[in-house]
Amino acid sequence: MELEQLQKTAAEVADREDVKYVIGWKKGSYGYRVAPGFIEDAAGAAELIFSPLCTANLATYLTLVEKLPVPRGQEADDRKVAVMVKGCDSRAVAQLLVEKGIGREEVVVIGCPCPGVVDPELLAEKYPETEETVEIKWTEDGFLLVRGEEEIEISRDELLAEKCRLCRYPNPVISDVMLGEPVETRELVEDEGVAEIENRDVDERAAYWEEQFAKCVRCYSCRNVCPLCYCQDCILDRLNPTWVNRAVNFSENTAFNIARAFHLAGRCIECGECERVCPANIPLGRLNRKLAREVRDKYGFEPGVDPEAEPFQASFKPDDPEDFIL
Amino acid sequence: MTEKPKVGVYVCHCGINISSTVDVDAVSEYAQKLPNVEVARTYSYMCSDPGQVLIKNDIRELGLNRVVVASCSPRMHEPTFRKAIKEAGVNPFFLEMANIREQCSWVHEEIEEGTAKAKKLVGAAVAKARLLEALESKEVDAEPAALVIGAGIAGIQASLDIADAGFKVYLVEKTPSVGGRMAQLDKTFPTLDCSACILTPKMVDCASHPNIELLSYSEVEEITGFIGNFDVKVRKKARYVDFDKCTGCGDCAAACRVKDRFPSEFDQGMGKRSAIYLPFPQAVPAKYTIDAENCLFLSKGKCGKNPKCQEVCGAEAINFEQQDEMVEFKVGAVIVATGFDTFDASRKPEYGYADYPNVITGMEMERLVSASGPTGGKVKIFNGKEEIEPKEIAFIKCVGSRDKSVGNEYCSRVCCMYVAKQAHLLRDKMPDANIRVYYMDVRAFGKGFEEFYDRVRRENVRYIRGNPSEIFKRGDKLVVKVEDTLTATPLEDEVDLVVLGVGLEPRADMREVMDLLRLSQSPDRFFLEAHPKLRPVDTATEGVFLAGCCQGPKDIPDTVAQAKGAASSAMIPLARGKVTIGAQVASVNEATCRGCSFCVSICPYTAIEMVTVNRFGHEVEVARVNEALCKGCGSCSAACLSDSIQPKSFRDRQILPQIAALGVLK
Repeated sequence: MELEQLQKTAAEVADREDVKYVIGWKKGSYGYRVAPGFIEDAAGAAELIFSPLCTANLATYLTLVEKLPVPRGQEADDRKVAVMVKGCDSRAVAQLLVEKGIGREEVVVIGCPCPGVVDPELLAEKYPETEETVEIKWTEDGFLLVRGEEEIEISRDELLAEKCRLCRYPNPVISDVMLGEPVETRELVEDEGVAEIENRDVDERAAYWEEQFAKCVRCYSCRNVCPLCYCQDCILDRLNPTWVNRAVNFSENTAFNIARAFHLAGRCIECGECERVCPANIPLGRLNRKLAREVRDKYGFEPGVDPEAEPFQASFKPDDPEDFIL
Repeated sequence: MTEKPKVGVYVCHCGINISSTVDVDAVSEYAQKLPNVEVARTYSYMCSDPGQVLIKNDIRELGLNRVVVASCSPRMHEPTFRKAIKEAGVNPFFLEMANIREQCSWVHEEIEEGTAKAKKLVGAAVAKARLLEALESKEVDAEPAALVIGAGIAGIQASLDIADAGFKVYLVEKTPSVGGRMAQLDKTFPTLDCSACILTPKMVDCASHPNIELLSYSEVEEITGFIGNFDVKVRKKARYVDFDKCTGCGDCAAACRVKDRFPSEFDQGMGKRSAIYLPFPQAVPAKYTIDAENCLFLSKGKCGKNPKCQEVCGAEAINFEQQDEMVEFKVGAVIVATGFDTFDASRKPEYGYADYPNVITGMEMERLVSASGPTGGKVKIFNGKEEIEPKEIAFIKCVGSRDKSVGNEYCSRVCCMYVAKQAHLLRDKMPDANIRVYYMDVRAFGKGFEEFYDRVRRENVRYIRGNPSEIFKRGDKLVVKVEDTLTATPLEDEVDLVVLGVGLEPRADMREVMDLLRLSQSPDRFFLEAHPKLRPVDTATEGVFLAGCCQGPKDIPDTVAQAKGAASSAMIPLARGKVTIGAQVASVNEATCRGCSFCVSICPYTAIEMVTVNRFGHEVEVARVNEALCKGCGSCSAACLSDSIQPKSFRDRQILPQIAALGVLK
């Protein structure tokens, strides 16, 4: 996809009367940083980029829009919000539509077919971050790192994010405007991360998660970044009843993480944002993908693929398997 | 909650039901020390009048505003105590029951264990009682009409009773005629009344009754709503015969190009009918129906030059353009009388039902001995070579009943007697025949049954105790291989005819009826009644009642009795004209509801809808509960991610302290 086309489209959309702003990616302040950009007019569109560094799922911002009380005599601003989405991000939009988190008329979806983004941790590990701004581009079969005069060819396998290795929806499943040509869809590959844990026995698994959850600092970054964790009044914050105590200890951390995973079963669209932002490096992606796999294998349901689908939690068939109920 | 909770705790002995494994005094003493408990007492039967008076007096004298009764299941006496405290001026929903009988005394043997658990349960109930909220029950109007599904003897009787009481009845029957199984029977045990003679007048009555709207050859497509206010959609299937014009003369059937080609359902496939047919001569309504699958014109688009039926019909009643028609109406109560299927004998391959023409079922024998049957009542059977009058006849009982191998553990309750009756009828027709009955047990439990069984045995019908293992052919004869278990003698009995006493099974299509009315099945797969003893015709869905064999195998007297019971139960809301709707329904916190509508899709009672509300200037969608439809099941609450919908009296903040109280006590 040409940058020029992206910026031109963004400018057109931002200028539309019924659009409040366009949410896209823009260069960050240093190194590999990429920041979300909120573009209100055509001029701002020049800042936007799309590169293997654009890991963030911008669909999160759709539900963060605060609906402030409308003063008497005024009308609510019900202009649309435009958002740029990769394949995985588009699934979040589709799932939001399914569960009425947003209305179709509230959003303009700008689809960006995505060859796969880099794993920021791996990147920083192998090519330490510097203060100067660095660009990374997609090449035929990998990435090209451009730092000043220097150009480094990097193979796809070396830096590709885990979620992208497993991705079967690199092309947006829903869009109003599609940028560029669709990218090649890859076949379903074994989720080694999940399989590795599944193959352990119960005690080992318990010990594994105990170790992981013990690290949790309860910063709630995973919840805040998640495009599908958007209840205004999260039950995990409630005091009466207190489902999860505020104390940061293994028991409460486990309750928090398990509750979040269960609330996402059949809803998580595997964008991997929770894992990316976790300061404690808890493999939350594996946890959520395990539940997604159960839902897919047992019920043949995959969230965020069809915006018209019946929500998984709210659909029931008489022959649904229930062998896991003790 | 402005007033301070003042809880009274009442621990019931229930005779020795509770007191034998629970030290009720210790429980009462323990309860006395719990927070907010003003008084704790025990009494031998809390549900009795003196027991209730005890509670009422305490309410008046001590100013109690919450009551905990520790006794049996709330399914049993919750209404009793609600009423009692209401009479003493306390909101009836300020009652909490601790089930220390079914869930405690009955399952423990040691008094220490039972007492410790009873204390926990009472402590938990007190914890919740303090947090209960006052609720009000509401009343809505009830439609003074009933829907009866199925027009066998159960449906007919229920319809007649309700119609005679002055209420409108919609009687829906799937087949072209009313009458059901009973119409197929020859004589009825043990009195030997002719089945048709006692049934046909009722069939005619229900068709001509001014209060009954008979919808034959129709199926219920959809039922929504709730007790007092069910909305029903019925599909009247196309008969391709104008109902009003048809005189029932039968010229069409006689002229049909495919005359007498298709197995007659009424004659169990032993007789033949045309593509246009009346199921049987006494059918009600006496209107012909075209079987679209077999009619040449309807299936192939061509029937000679012109369809013969159309040519001969003087009334010009044949209408090939006819379409299914949808009928909609409203009723206050529903009676399900969908009947049974007979056991498919080919599922017991050792009896050779599918292989030998002279192995027949009891229902086939019924048609064979009937004067209106395919042979005009002559017992003639094809033995694979020729048609003979059987001389050696064996009956086998419990085919498909009391048999775990086919998944039917239950007794079908009618086979013992219909086999005895058929043996008697055969003896009547063939005095020199050798008739024997292979049985496991003889269950002649009803009025006049034992006497009839005795009479049949005296008529030289031999009863041999043994369950045949196999039936095979030897020459022109069938060999029944069996052990006479009373004499421990293995037998190879050569016979001309075997009659299988097949049992009763739930209808194959009962799943559809279950979905239609949200009914459940008992372990035997028949419909589940609300309580096996005290609510035998009610179902878990209020306003829906059961009659006849859809609830379990029954003979005709029991079926009629149950139909009359169902009719009188169904008439309660109709006669009252009002129904009380539950107060323990779900409620929505519209401030936190995010409008995902999961609850709408998951609600089994379609009780929730989305409405648009104004939230500080923004139009947002939130869930709203129709309290008349809601049963308070809590499914919505389980689906809600933001905990914004919860059943009243079962809110998290009420249940969690209850659970906590169970945990803290050692």
